[in-house]
Amino acid sequence: MIRKLVLLFAVLALVVAACGDDDGGGETTVPGDTVATTAAPSGGGDGDAALRWMTRPDNPEEAAVYGEISDQLSASLDGISLTYEPGSNEGAGYQQTLLTNLSAGTAPDVFWVPGTDVADFASRGVILDLREYADATGHNDADFYPGPMVHLTTELETGQPGNALWGLPRDVSTFALYVNLDLIAEAGAANPVELAAAGEWDLAAFNETVDAVAALGGEIKGYGQSGWWGPYGAWLNAAGGGFFSDDRTQCALDSTESIAGLTALRDLYSGDSVIPYGEDPEAPFRAGTVGMFQNGRWATPGIRTVDFNWDVVGLPTGAAGPGNWLFWGAYVVNANTADPAAAWELVQALTQADIQAQISELGANIPSRVSEAALDAFLGFTPPANNQAFLDGLSTNPTTEGPLWVGSWPEFVTLMDSEIQAVVTGARDIADFQANICTETAAAFGG
Amino acid sequence: MTTATAAPPSASTDQPGWFVPLLLWRGLTAFLLVVALIGVLVRRGIVLDGPIRWTLIAALVAAVAGGGLAVRWTMQRVHSGRLAGFTIDFLLAVVFGFVALNRMDMFNGLDAVGEAFNGSVAWLGIVVLGWLVSGFADRGEQANANLKQVARWTMIGGLAVLTLSMGLLPGLLEFASRLVATNVLPLAILAIAAGAFARILWSDGAAKLFGTTQSQGETMDGMLFVAPNMLGFLAFFAGPLLVSLFISFTEWDGLTDATFVGFQHYIDLFSDDLFLRSLRNIVVFGAVAIPLAVIPALLLAALLNSKLPGMKFFRAVYFLPSIAGVVGVTLIWKQLFNSTVGYLNFIVLKLTEWFNSIFGSGIEAPQPQWISDDSIALISVIILFIWQQIGFNTVLFLAGMQGIDGTLYEAADIDGANPWHKFRNITVPMLRPTTVFVVATTTILALQLFNEPFILQSPSPPSGPGNSTLTPVVYLYQNAFQEFQIGYASAVAWALFILIFGVTLLYFRRGGDEGVLST
Repeated sequence: MIRKLVLLFAVLALVVAACGDDDGGGETTVPGDTVATTAAPSGGGDGDAALRWMTRPDNPEEAAVYGEISDQLSASLDGISLTYEPGSNEGAGYQQTLLTNLSAGTAPDVFWVPGTDVADFASRGVILDLREYADATGHNDADFYPGPMVHLTTELETGQPGNALWGLPRDVSTFALYVNLDLIAEAGAANPVELAAAGEWDLAAFNETVDAVAALGGEIKGYGQSGWWGPYGAWLNAAGGGFFSDDRTQCALDSTESIAGLTALRDLYSGDSVIPYGEDPEAPFRAGTVGMFQNGRWATPGIRTVDFNWDVVGLPTGAAGPGNWLFWGAYVVNANTADPAAAWELVQALTQADIQAQISELGANIPSRVSEAALDAFLGFTPPANNQAFLDGLSTNPTTEGPLWVGSWPEFVTLMDSEIQAVVTGARDIADFQANICTETAAAFGG
Repeated sequence: MTTATAAPPSASTDQPGWFVPLLLWRGLTAFLLVVALIGVLVRRGIVLDGPIRWTLIAALVAAVAGGGLAVRWTMQRVHSGRLAGFTIDFLLAVVFGFVALNRMDMFNGLDAVGEAFNGSVAWLGIVVLGWLVSGFADRGEQANANLKQVARWTMIGGLAVLTLSMGLLPGLLEFASRLVATNVLPLAILAIAAGAFARILWSDGAAKLFGTTQSQGETMDGMLFVAPNMLGFLAFFAGPLLVSLFISFTEWDGLTDATFVGFQHYIDLFSDDLFLRSLRNIVVFGAVAIPLAVIPALLLAALLNSKLPGMKFFRAVYFLPSIAGVVGVTLIWKQLFNSTVGYLNFIVLKLTEWFNSIFGSGIEAPQPQWISDDSIALISVIILFIWQQIGFNTVLFLAGMQGIDGTLYEAADIDGANPWHKFRNITVPMLRPTTVFVVATTTILALQLFNEPFILQSPSPPSGPGNSTLTPVVYLYQNAFQEFQIGYASAVAWALFILIFGVTLLYFRRGGDEGVLST
């Protein structure tokens, strides 16, 4: 009897749970299937369009904010109910989840992709060109930082910016140097923030600060950076070089400027004033044993927990300027969505200034919308006191990260990373690198 | 149940009322199988050429033949007809049922079960109360029937209130409205019909009609018992495994149409420097890590097998690393390995200072770059792996030791054997089956190495300095999820599978040759 009761209860619970009124965020649908059949969430629309959307949060707190934003928009967007999915979980990363869902035809209507992946998704017909919807709603590309929009408007046929619109940037970020002001003062070096304000923050001043801090001895080091393409790329950019030719169809790692930047980086790492290349510099910085540490805005929440005086300063000026990056990712629309117009409306809503301000308040992101309101709000989210350093990084001609519209960015990076590391750590002669690297990476361009 | 008559297996001459509908149903299912396979053949999504087309055509022919045979055997009223029909109907009921439920979005709705339950969980208290009263009523020599009845109705009432408060009525209405949708109802009807015919074929009447012997009936019972597990195995393990094998013969990015390339990916593997490097790394890793994760575990188990005080505590302590989450553990080790603020180098520094102070030497403390130096990055991964595995292996050896007959040691004591002799000549030989198992499982884990290098090297590339920590699974991941080369990644996966299978087979065959597996 008890067993039958439990069985009956299980079946009824299944029915109730699967079909009952869902007040947690609306109905879920699979692209291509019928739209919502249950009531919209309280305060929401009438359930005319039920959209699922997914973005990668940097931490659980950010995931919670995205969930709240989803509820807000579900209530404010007329006729649209939303379900937010964080994407990653303990068993799978965001990229795995997204790719698996896309393969299975169960990807959300709107999802976030890293800026470097836009070409891969666009060229495979996985995401929609939103231009016709944008034109119909008075959208203006110039509302966002131009760098990401170059890639988001690139035409598949030409590989050059045109009239396409693959999505809108969720947020942007750039590098800054997180500086331990206590350690730098103890070393008797000038405050980099003040040097930057005086226009004297160049590579020479940077090297002096590194050496002065390292001279404190023991485990103290002057500087640290991670071993992925962003940090070393900034050095190449600052020297006027870069990874690619201007039209991004050829490797430019062998250019004189790129080699100059790489040489400066190698020279820096040839001494013992810095955290060894490839070691994570964040832990020693948080332990108070590193003077300067290069990272993006996303590192700010973690650094806020340290118990010494710190701030941020822009990257030192090289031969061609500060040489910073503009990192970004974009909300795009699934090509199989049942309601592209509603999906576009959601993309617009997710990138409006007040929504971006809510995310930026957590400290890890910078609004992608060039709006005074959004930027003013960002400047108020302290520490660090010198938030302006990030905005300066975005405004002083940064190199925008982006995909290869002709070639494979992931393949190029895989080939490039290990060779750059070999040069920086002294395992490969830089002349040999210059002579051969573009041949070695030619496969990434289909060569 | 199929408690059929024993031999002789002669079929009954009486024809029950369900027999003609069953024959018609058999014909319909055979037709559906053919239609389904033709649908697969003409569906877009994969480039159907070469061996894929022939494989599908062969499957189609087999399905037609199978369906036709099922009809024929049913008409002949032989047990094969009952078995084939029951198998087909059972599978059709499951497949149609799941597809119908999926189209009704029932599986998406399952995610909400916790939320719905949490809101009404207080009513469960009534059920618990009824259960407690029921238990109380059963106590003593004479159960209190009235009290038990009250308890039963209390539980029923509690469940009813609970389900109603969870929204049973609107849920049922919604269920009904989804059920009658045009893309659901035909499937639901087919699922119910298949289930009904499977039930009929399962009955004693069918057993008699088809002349099923007792042993044949018991075989069907056994098959039905293992069916849930078997279906799960086919759907979630064997199926994906075969699909990945198929994908490895295609050029596929996971997003667009696949193109059949035959063995090209496997041929390419032999000239792929990165894949060969990953193989070299994993072989070196295995050669060092496996002995170091097994031999010390054996010695540790021997120590923990003693009856000294506190042994239970130490057994728990050594087992802890195996139950800790690999991500958390690796992040901790990443901190320990940090060359400037990590505890490993700090300990090295302090030990060197202590040594210098004692002996007046001027030795400079080495400060290895555990993660960023390509000559030792793999060693760091080995250390972490050994630390994680040694406790689990110790427990396995310990269990094996405690299963050794104590009289062997008593006899050795009488013969004057010392502890080493007993360990060498009794413990080690008697542990051979355990040792084979431990070595095999450790080898499999070692060859599948992924999380440790991936997290240790983050945010730098997981392949490590100079690709020194690039493993086949890391390479597979990079190809599949970073470079969209799912076909090639599947070929890497199968190459790794063959390696693991070969090594494991070698272990077990060697173990079998020495009588290990039969011990």
